[in-house]
Amino acid sequence: MKTDRNAVEFRLSLALLALVALIPAAVSNPYWLGVIIVSMYFALLAAGWNLLAGYTGQFSMAPACFAMIGAYASGLLSYHWNVSPWIGLPAAIIVSAAIGMVLGRIVMRLRGPYLALTTLSFAEIMRLVIGNSYSFTRGDLGLNVPGLFDSRLVYYYVFVGVLVAVQTGLFLLLRTKAGLYLRAIRDDEIAAASRGVDVVFWKTAAFTMSTAMSGLAGALYGGFSQLVSPELGLIAQTGLVICMVVIGGIGSLIGPLLGAFLVYASSEALREVGGVQLIVFSFLVIVFARFYREGLWGLAKRAFMRKPA
Amino acid sequence: MSCLSISEVRKSFGGLHAVDGVSFDVDYGELIGLIGPNGSGKTTLLNILSGHQPPDSGQVLLDGRPIHRLKPEQIAQAGLLRMFQLTRVFRRMSAFDNLLTAGRALGLDHAEAIARARQLIEELTLTRVRDLDAGQLSGGQQKLLEFGCCFMRPPKIALLDEPFAAVHPTMKETLAGFIRKHHAEGQTFLIVSHDMPVIVELCPRTVCMNAGSVIADELTRAVLNDPVVIEAYLGGEVAA
Amino acid sequence: MLNVDLLINGLIIGLFYALMAVGLTLIFGILKVVNFAHGEFYMVGTYTYTLVALKLGVDPWLALPLAAGAGAIVGSLTERMLMRPLYSGYTSWGMLKDEYAVVVTFALSLLLVNLVDKVIGPYSQRGPALIDITRMSLGPIMLSGQKLIATAVAAATIVALALFIRYSFWGRQIQAVAQNRLGASLAGIDTAKASNIVFTLSGALAGLSGALLAPIINASPDVGSFPAIKSYVIVVLGGMGSIVGSIAASLTLGVLEGFGAVYISYDYRDTFGLVILMLVLLVRPQGLFGEKGRDV
Repeated sequence: MKTDRNAVEFRLSLALLALVALIPAAVSNPYWLGVIIVSMYFALLAAGWNLLAGYTGQFSMAPACFAMIGAYASGLLSYHWNVSPWIGLPAAIIVSAAIGMVLGRIVMRLRGPYLALTTLSFAEIMRLVIGNSYSFTRGDLGLNVPGLFDSRLVYYYVFVGVLVAVQTGLFLLLRTKAGLYLRAIRDDEIAAASRGVDVVFWKTAAFTMSTAMSGLAGALYGGFSQLVSPELGLIAQTGLVICMVVIGGIGSLIGPLLGAFLVYASSEALREVGGVQLIVFSFLVIVFARFYREGLWGLAKRAFMRKPA
Repeated sequence: MSCLSISEVRKSFGGLHAVDGVSFDVDYGELIGLIGPNGSGKTTLLNILSGHQPPDSGQVLLDGRPIHRLKPEQIAQAGLLRMFQLTRVFRRMSAFDNLLTAGRALGLDHAEAIARARQLIEELTLTRVRDLDAGQLSGGQQKLLEFGCCFMRPPKIALLDEPFAAVHPTMKETLAGFIRKHHAEGQTFLIVSHDMPVIVELCPRTVCMNAGSVIADELTRAVLNDPVVIEAYLGGEVAA
Repeated sequence: MLNVDLLINGLIIGLFYALMAVGLTLIFGILKVVNFAHGEFYMVGTYTYTLVALKLGVDPWLALPLAAGAGAIVGSLTERMLMRPLYSGYTSWGMLKDEYAVVVTFALSLLLVNLVDKVIGPYSQRGPALIDITRMSLGPIMLSGQKLIATAVAAATIVALALFIRYSFWGRQIQAVAQNRLGASLAGIDTAKASNIVFTLSGALAGLSGALLAPIINASPDVGSFPAIKSYVIVVLGGMGSIVGSIAASLTLGVLEGFGAVYISYDYRDTFGLVILMLVLLVRPQGLFGEKGRDV
């Protein structure tokens, strides 16, 4: 049964995250720790987008936008009203979820390229609005925001913890009827409705959960880098997230994590060699999309697992 | 009270009157055939019944309750389930999960759904392909699967849209067998089909449509001998 | 006087938008997918024109068709290698054609942008004007010579395209495929070839507009994002697939942005189109001129 597949992927993601948790024991270079933290930021975005696109079939172009919204929600609260980032964090989640719910409800009837275009426009509009509202957001200069913690190491483990919580949440969610409904909607929305699935509710729910995750990621990242700017919401950032998920393996629990770590960490490593990382990754996405949808995780499965027929 | 009551349903697309004042009732336990030449409005009518299209006017009552303004999922929950002409299954989910989804959506809890799904898999002879992705099943198996999804919780009425179209003769027999068996247990059916022999064999009563209207609604044998029906199928103008 | 000026300038900009966007409309009409690498077809044209004219010393009037040709080649290759499998081969995405197209063309866009950034360099370069006259008067308003010539070329190209689609052999094949792919192939039309022609044309048109605007919008790796977004707006407004619709939408958008920039807000001039796009899609998912498909 499919739940077995989920269980395997879940256990492997935990193993992967355990590995990540052990890295600081061997590596103390703050630069590299920072690289992994950013990878974890992307992993959160990737997991959220994968829930929406991989499991529910809604290809939104707005994950980075909602990270930006979350970061600004928390950042503005602290910048203008001195609200502690401890409150800013849940506020970011709520704001992103609320806006996401509205957007999701609005784009309900759209599919494929229409959905992509609408979410893309939304993302661009938000970015332009935030970038232009100089008096409120300091525009392209960005906001300086305080962090939750002073130590990079603490942030590192916070990210690990959040990722573990998110993965667990996703795993549990997918085991319930929600997992069945979302995939049914992805495969055939009309049939799903004919069988009695409340398509409107579940699509909106997926959207809301996904944007909440992005908002959380954005707020955490903002606290870590202590700078929040409209660049967080660039379409290119969304593109990166999509690359990561497709390369890692869309529609699987572990694909987004794999993709995020591999793509980001190796892109930093490749940075020494010369800026070819994005060329390589976008090429890989094309190859995977064209020939092998299951991505790296799919390849790994074929190579290492012998499933009984 | 009749199971399904259709009154004066009308639907036009631009100038085309796809459904032009259709009325008939289906009583509990009936097995009714719906026939008619291509373009007669059968599929549009079915779409209206299952909630995929709103009627321009008229009403549809399911067990006395008006359903013509409800969404497909609400109609399914109310007890009207439908099979599609071009089989629709959840291609990247296993056959078993397909059934589970249908069961859960119709209100069964986890344990009930699993038990019922197991039962149906046996009955539909899909045991061997139970865990394969539905998209990998043969056409006939997919049809059986879709059929099964309609019966996770026995519906008040099952609408079957051309269930025998493009289906292997053996599979046809299997399907017909299921319909007969469930009908004997009291299940109400409305079957749209072009397959006359099967309609004759299964359906005591048949409704015939042409150009959006019902032109005959009587015992199947009578319908097939009705000159109006014959004319509709073979061409020529329908007598007013 | 200001309003007349704004109107004419708006129409001119709209004309360029039309040249950029009509290729995308064609692609959507025939393949029912949005090409997210469209901006990069434009970029290819801009770079080809600029580099060929500057580095190789080719006369700008010759560089124009070369730029269009480069766009055409990229378009054709894209169709052949990435899109064709959607319909006549196998992609691992099976039924999810729309999603495949989104991902693959998006990745292609990233690939091209970064390739150019790496190989040619991230700095912007300015292409030569077609004509040296800097200011000419056209009735009540003043225009640069470049703008005038470019407008004339754009207008002529659009008219030629419309005639081609309407009356030529392949133009009619394309119309047939756009209306009903399966039916067209049953009638003996080579749908793969028709799709390829459409992609090639789209690349050529985008490349040409990149070249025409090169002296005004300089070549840089991300130069394609601007025409891309405009094109998306226009394709949706015009009814994804309707050429007349997209020309009308382009002109409207150009004028609207012109007036909006002056009377509402200069900073937010780019958001008008986007907001309109969102509103249109929410109310009429098929665009202003498009037709609703049947789901069930």
